[in-house]
Amino acid sequence: MFQNNREGLALALPAAIFTALFFLLPVGFLLSEAFKVDGMWSMQGYFDFAIKPLNQTVFLRTLKLGFLVALTSAIIGYACAFSIVNLEGKSRGRVFGLVVLPLMISPVARTYAWIVILGRTGIVNDAILGLGLSDTPIRILFTETAVFLGLLQLFLPLMIISLVSAMENLPKDVIPAARVLGANWLQVFTKVILPLTKDGLVMGGTLVFTGSLTAYITPAILGGSKVLMLETLLYQRVNVANDFVSAGIIATILIIMSFSANLLLKRIAKARS
Amino acid sequence: MKKLLALSTAIALISGAAYAQDKTLTISVYSFGMDAMKAAIFDPFEEVCGCDVVIETGNSVERMAKIEANAANPVIDVAVMSAHDALALSRKGLWQSLDISKIPSHAELYESAKDPIGDHMAVGYGFYATSIVYRSDLVEINSWSDLLSDELKGRVALPNITGTQGPLTLMMLGQSLGYDDLTFSDTIDAIGESADDIVTFYNRSSELAQLMLQEEVIAAPVGRFAWSRFSGADLPFKWAEPSEGQTGGMNVMLMTKDNGNEELAHQFINYWLSNEVQTRVAELKLDSPANATVVVSDEIAESLTYGADLINSLTMLDPGAIIDNRDAWLERWNEKVVN
Amino acid sequence: MYSKWTTRLIIGLTLTFLIGPFFIIILAGLSDGEFMTFPPDGISLRWYAKVFTVESFRDSFKLSMFLAIFGTIAALILGVPAAYAISRYKIPYGETIKTIVAAPIIVPGIIVGLALLRYLVVPLNFTVTLALFMAHTALILPYAVRVVSSSMNNLRSDMEEAAVLLGCSRLGAFTRVVLPNIQSGVLAAFILGFVTSFNQVPVSLFLSGPGVRTLPIDMLSYMEITYDPSVAALSALLALLSVVIVFMAEKFLGFSRYV
Repeated sequence: MFQNNREGLALALPAAIFTALFFLLPVGFLLSEAFKVDGMWSMQGYFDFAIKPLNQTVFLRTLKLGFLVALTSAIIGYACAFSIVNLEGKSRGRVFGLVVLPLMISPVARTYAWIVILGRTGIVNDAILGLGLSDTPIRILFTETAVFLGLLQLFLPLMIISLVSAMENLPKDVIPAARVLGANWLQVFTKVILPLTKDGLVMGGTLVFTGSLTAYITPAILGGSKVLMLETLLYQRVNVANDFVSAGIIATILIIMSFSANLLLKRIAKARS
Repeated sequence: MKKLLALSTAIALISGAAYAQDKTLTISVYSFGMDAMKAAIFDPFEEVCGCDVVIETGNSVERMAKIEANAANPVIDVAVMSAHDALALSRKGLWQSLDISKIPSHAELYESAKDPIGDHMAVGYGFYATSIVYRSDLVEINSWSDLLSDELKGRVALPNITGTQGPLTLMMLGQSLGYDDLTFSDTIDAIGESADDIVTFYNRSSELAQLMLQEEVIAAPVGRFAWSRFSGADLPFKWAEPSEGQTGGMNVMLMTKDNGNEELAHQFINYWLSNEVQTRVAELKLDSPANATVVVSDEIAESLTYGADLINSLTMLDPGAIIDNRDAWLERWNEKVVN
Repeated sequence: MYSKWTTRLIIGLTLTFLIGPFFIIILAGLSDGEFMTFPPDGISLRWYAKVFTVESFRDSFKLSMFLAIFGTIAALILGVPAAYAISRYKIPYGETIKTIVAAPIIVPGIIVGLALLRYLVVPLNFTVTLALFMAHTALILPYAVRVVSSSMNNLRSDMEEAAVLLGCSRLGAFTRVVLPNIQSGVLAAFILGFVTSFNQVPVSLFLSGPGVRTLPIDMLSYMEITYDPSVAALSALLALLSVVIVFMAEKFLGFSRYV
């Protein structure tokens, strides 16, 4: 550790000043617009926003989908991460590479495929009809299910990555040891794996939840105007109604939601240990 | 060398194209069919006027916002948009009256295109009819009210209220259901009750085309300008002629106030309205002519909104009514339909 | 313990869900029909060929490349010293600085684009390209700082201290001792930043001007005109490009350690 702190400050400041000036300041201005009504500081914009039924629906839907995507990806993520960690060296690297891969691909491409997959004549409906699960094709596009699937595919890799790196730090013999001592799998998971990987879960959960809240393409293409989420509502307010007050309000809500999710997960993780 | 190349590209990108000619006309147009429009109108005009045409595109909201933001010092000289968008900006005083004496082609236009928003602020350059496209092998459409019929449950899409086609659909649907006021309240409520049976409220005709081609949707109201997407497909699509008639609209050209480029702007507007250009644009199926002297073959006319009989039969929605009511429509729509 | 077959089944299903859609995109782009279908309607390369003839794709590809390359370089120029300072010095207000630099991660991208449009482009006459450049740089910066810091933390600081004691200047110690040791971290940060910027959608949504559009936004606006399979073909080509980059990065750097 060097002692010349002024030198350190000089090295770190340009980055901070750049971000503050060209990023945070404009964003701050925009957010502050939501607190102004006719040039006066006021919370009125928030009250007006909150009482509209559509806004309530969209807020709850966004919260619900974000939660469901995070929960589902945690469940799949644990199963998958555990399987990956159990693989031998080389195939482990390969599988991990394949999990990372989708993150590198344009979300436009990733969402686009689902239009074809989830359509009436798409392979999902072919499978449903073929297996006799339904007599008529099921409508999936432009439903919450479509948005859910799109978001899950988009963000599951983030959860798997977080959990894999947490599990790699798990001592090799704790699970066999717990088994020998008579713990069943559920106990092994809740008493051993979960506590030891909770940092990964907090990290992954935050990333997936925040990502789902702020995704634009997926709800826009797969949900359309019938399944509005906060992000698509924001775009609509600005683009259709020139309504920058609502835009600022929605942005503030999104930021607060992301922050609280992170804090909440950290709190839960702490409480458990 | 490669690095140098990349660097110079970068510099060029930042500094912007700084190699304009002396005379420049800046226009703001729809992005639809841009390459073809450029070849048919904008490039040939550059040769006629010996000037540069700078094109700005985007969706109309974006373009309107920019015109408004730069009102004091206009960047755009000539803009094209829907009649009601034009009227909205006209009420804000962003346009200047056209000098008809400088637009000889004006005399050849259909009557309704000559002065669509008053004071010669705008001039219509293209019409479109709006009706229902449907799968003739699966359903029969005779009335706008068929959109909400049991047969179409789960297989119909409607245009979103935020677009141009949305209010037109509301008007015709309302007429067919026996509601006849411009608040559209009862019509919106009726759609709200059937909302679960409507696949989606589409924003773009391209989106609708994909949905109809993959058989997600079998009937939807759409503008005639999109008809060629369907008429060329293998599936049996048909253009409905509902008993209540077809609706439609007009796109207009305008000139910004105090742009200092009035000569060139008038020349451009006249050029676009001329028989020569309107015929070329019609034959490429890019837009339906507002110039009544244009004559095209039956095959071409099939893809367009063409001819005095058809154009005069369209039930149009008054631009003023759209602007005065649309906030209320959206409010009710958000409450009853998409909520 | 966990049987081999369960392991394979879980991994197989997850990978099908994650990667399957790309195969569908690749094949849909090969369709001979006029719209997207799967299975494809006949086989043809015409949509793949069409991608290269669309002028706006070329322009927007160049812009996206420019932003991804120079935005990442700018982020590294700002980020490497900051990462160095954070891991080697005890700077006053260190936490505040860290928070500021990391903030862009949690701000919804769509708001960033809108804010820059309203407060930089319109009143201050920034060009849209410059605003995009600023936004992308600020967005990549947190990743650059994080990745570089983590590789800096793996490097023991006594090596530089030794170099300084032996008469090397502080800058010399940095360039001769630190930089060579963190270069794979810097490269990893570069790739991560490049990909983040190249695929960025929400930030660029409101930041477009005449002829200035990033590639993902241009794809979206192309889809406003038609859903023909060329967008699928372009998506597939971009996916392949990403695969190649990631494959190379993994091969030479063990990239996935840094993600």
